[in-house]
Amino acid sequence: MRPGKLIPAVFGLLAVSFLLLPLLVILPLAFTSSLFLIYPIPSFSLRWFDVLVTNPVWRAAIVNSLIIGIGTTILSTVLGGLASLGLREKLRFVSAPLSTLFLLPMVVPAVVLGVGLQILYARFGLSSTYLGMIIAHTVIAIPLVMVSVTNSLQGMDSRLELAAASLGAGPAATLLHVTLPLAMPGILTGAVLAFAVSLDEVVLNIFLAGPGQRTIARQMFAELRDNISPAIAAAAFLFIAGTIVLMALVLLMRRRVGGTAS
Amino acid sequence: MADFHIRLDGVTKTYGSLRVVDNLRLDIIRGEFLSLLGPSGSGKTTILMMLAGFQDASEGTIYVDGNMINDIPSHKRNMGVVFQSYALFPHMSVAQNVAFPLKMRGFGRSDIRERVERALDMVQLSTMKDRKPSQLSGGQQQRVALARALVFEPGVVLMDEPLGALDKQLREQMQLDIRELHARLGLTIVFVTHDQSEALTMSDRIAVFNKGRIEQIDTPRMIYDHPATRFVAEFIGETNLMEGEIAGREGDEAMVRLSDGCMMRVRARDGLERGAKVLVTIRPEKVELSDPPAAANSFPVTVSDTIYQGDHFRVQLQGAGQRFIARRDRRAAEWPQGARLHATFAADDCWVIAP
Amino acid sequence: MMARLWNRRTRAFLLVMPMALFIAVFFVWPLVIMVKQSVSDTAVLQILPRTADEVAGWDRASPPSEAMQAALIADLRAATDEKAVGDMVRRLNSAQSGFRTLMSKTISAVAKPETGPLLAPVDKRWMQPPYWIAIADALEPRTDRYLLAAVDLERDATGDITQMPEGSSANRLIFGRTFWIAGLVTLFCVLIGYPYALLIAASTGTTRAILLAAVLLPLWTSLLVRTAAWFILLQEQGLINGFLLSTGVIASPLALIFNRTGVVIAMTHVLLPLMVLPIYSVLVTIPTNLMPAATSLGAHPLRAFVHVMLPLSLRGVVSGMLLVFMTAVGYYITPALVGGAGDQMISAIIAFYSTQTANWSMASALGMVLLAITLVLYVVYAQLSGRNSIGGRM
Ligand SMILES: Nc1ncnc2c1ncn2[C@@H]1O[C@H](COP(=O)(O)OP(=O)(O)OP(=O)(O)O)[C@@H](O)[C@H]1O
Ligand SMILES: [Mg+2]
Repeated sequence: MRPGKLIPAVFGLLAVSFLLLPLLVILPLAFTSSLFLIYPIPSFSLRWFDVLVTNPVWRAAIVNSLIIGIGTTILSTVLGGLASLGLREKLRFVSAPLSTLFLLPMVVPAVVLGVGLQILYARFGLSSTYLGMIIAHTVIAIPLVMVSVTNSLQGMDSRLELAAASLGAGPAATLLHVTLPLAMPGILTGAVLAFAVSLDEVVLNIFLAGPGQRTIARQMFAELRDNISPAIAAAAFLFIAGTIVLMALVLLMRRRVGGTAS
Repeated sequence: MADFHIRLDGVTKTYGSLRVVDNLRLDIIRGEFLSLLGPSGSGKTTILMMLAGFQDASEGTIYVDGNMINDIPSHKRNMGVVFQSYALFPHMSVAQNVAFPLKMRGFGRSDIRERVERALDMVQLSTMKDRKPSQLSGGQQQRVALARALVFEPGVVLMDEPLGALDKQLREQMQLDIRELHARLGLTIVFVTHDQSEALTMSDRIAVFNKGRIEQIDTPRMIYDHPATRFVAEFIGETNLMEGEIAGREGDEAMVRLSDGCMMRVRARDGLERGAKVLVTIRPEKVELSDPPAAANSFPVTVSDTIYQGDHFRVQLQGAGQRFIARRDRRAAEWPQGARLHATFAADDCWVIAP
Repeated sequence: MMARLWNRRTRAFLLVMPMALFIAVFFVWPLVIMVKQSVSDTAVLQILPRTADEVAGWDRASPPSEAMQAALIADLRAATDEKAVGDMVRRLNSAQSGFRTLMSKTISAVAKPETGPLLAPVDKRWMQPPYWIAIADALEPRTDRYLLAAVDLERDATGDITQMPEGSSANRLIFGRTFWIAGLVTLFCVLIGYPYALLIAASTGTTRAILLAAVLLPLWTSLLVRTAAWFILLQEQGLINGFLLSTGVIASPLALIFNRTGVVIAMTHVLLPLMVLPIYSVLVTIPTNLMPAATSLGAHPLRAFVHVMLPLSLRGVVSGMLLVFMTAVGYYITPALVGGAGDQMISAIIAFYSTQTANWSMASALGMVLLAITLVLYVVYAQLSGRNSIGGRM
């Protein structure tokens, strides 16, 4: 190989290893029988998955993550979906600032939002409640839902809706039979992203949740700080597997809705 | 008296200070095939959009069957629309696409199946009914769009350059198919195109648009043979234009003095006063070329170029202080460049318009 | 026809309304509260409302009036919330030393019914204006002391802004450290990310797919999972030390975790995709024949790169750098887990004030500074990459 090709190849290999190695090394440790989160693995076992389901702390964390994640997914997808539809009507001095505003939670650092929400929640008694957590996660999930739904709506031929109207479909029927099915890939992507954000969120949980709302991510954070056990790797394995399953699901749905819409 | 199906009265569409459609008065006769023809940006699509209810008129009134429809939303207007890019629903099969307007109108299942079947038969697509639009060719998609716009038996069908995306051969086939459907179903069709030959082929009447106004509305024949304005004369087909003024009248013929002083005899028209400035138009295929001068209306010309065009020759000429184009039959002799000839314009073939 | 337009607008309005309300209440309002909190100072006013009324008419020089003294006694008698009283005393003591003893003496005195209406018998100091001036100043509900303290400034006795005494506050140091770490991470990200993006853009087929997947996969993976993974790699018995020890490159384990090195490595890994993707998205829009065109015109490949590729891709590089820096400045989780005590960034300090000491004013003031920095960076970023394109990375 010429050096002109060798150098990029070596660099690429190193960079890919840097990016992927961390993800690869954590997976096998989920199946270690050891008490410690280190290599080499003495023998394989499922004991740490067992801990996840039987240990009351982890179990509660999984249940909490599901409750908060599902709540966040529903709330943010509904709010974001409706708003994306509404924002298609372009009103000068209104639509553009609003879209920017709805994307801002992605920019504001989590701790800043955490401080503000903590003070607000203290006034309304939302601290240490599921509702409070769902709301907080929804705030940061909304930009992702907005972006993916808006993208799919923009990619849609607006004449399809005119066609539906000319064929006798009123606004509601057009929405139901044409707009929503065509926006579905974007809506699903948004929903999955919202769930993923909620699942992975720690900072707001630290600021706003009580012991009763500890999520998996929060529990992992706590364990990483004190007693590092391979249960973390088992949780990470579930995370990665979950991500892959969800992404596959989204891709599958897109395929099915597919056609020329995408 | 004509049976007006649609009437546009003073319809205007403005975007800011731009008048895209300007005080349009247009009566569309029941059962006619009306083409809206004009260059890009002349407002054709805008008119169609206002008819379909996708856009609001800034001013003026639209009547269907004598009832004002300005405030009726598009889904209640009962007009079929065929879009340039077809706008087929990508997530529905061909049959579902065609069934859509029937479903919206609450037809029964079996009724829908039967009507969809018939509509697809009509456009010869019965075998494709379970395919998705993305699995069809352009021409097939076009026919689905047509079936979908016709299946609910609207009184009016609006088409916005429906054949624009098809290749020439398919387009000509579809032109004939649509014409045939029009005749069979007795529909009123408003057809937008910027292709003049398409308009000439298909229409009962053509409305020629320029900058949001109608320049002329008439049968294809009248539009071609007797253009009302310079714009129409130049936009439809090729033409030769000669400036001049009326020098006198002689029975049903008038004498025109061209700008270089030559006199020319044309078929007279009312209102041609002596001294009026006029433009004489003559189509290239009406220009006779001969070696010796013919009787009247003959001018000496020089051949500057002869171009072979397959079914005819296009001869470019210089004479009487300007350029002319003639179109000669392929059997005609191929004159060499620089040949001196005489061009003859029969008085009956010359048409006089205001400059 | 106006009716139909209005209808459409109403529909749009109704669709956007729930979201607008939600964001207003749970995003904008908290930030507004935070801003207010950072300039509000009601610890004293809350306990001494009657005193506030009386002090308002005082000339700040003459001995306190009888009414002022009576009001103070009444206020102290009415105060029941011990924690709030403690806050007030701490607040007053920070303005005027000696207040702590004075107040505890006074509070126990007013508990007895015979005390009053004058304070001179309780303590002579109540006759000196400075104590009352401190109260008068502390009664002001608006203050800039927290904002000043956020950048290690304070007001001296005359009201001028001065540096805080050495060693009493480290906020500037921590802001400096935050910028330094974010800057280092941005630098490493661009050093790896730019050539990597070039490599993706130059490759085709499977290679390109693999290179892209290697960026996207970490982006899709939980931040905690990635941080935990770095734990496994960097810790003392971790894979990297294990590898280096077994190959004999080093004799004893390197300290890779709970220090700056660990923070920078882990954050670079976490944020690298945010650098690669904006650059890549710009690179793919550059026609592939430009470089060959430049070299065919006689430019050495390196010169061609400097004069053609670099300027064209600069917008992507700057966007990526801003995005990485902006995100890094607000980072909390990764430094908290793989950093040592000396690697904590500003977010950790905010979290400390907010969750450990419930000093919301200080947390808010620091949050304000962080928010302002982030928003400025975002505005520049948005200008560069066109509106809404922050979503482009999804
Ligand atoms: N939403 C709009 N805002 C401003 N101007 C517009 C808008 N829609 C159309 N126009 C303008 O109105 C004019 C007429 O447009 P229209 O689409 O009706 O033309 P057309 O005759 O259909 O042209 P084409 O043959 O290219 O389709 C154009 O100059 C166009 O730029
Ligand atoms: Mg058009």
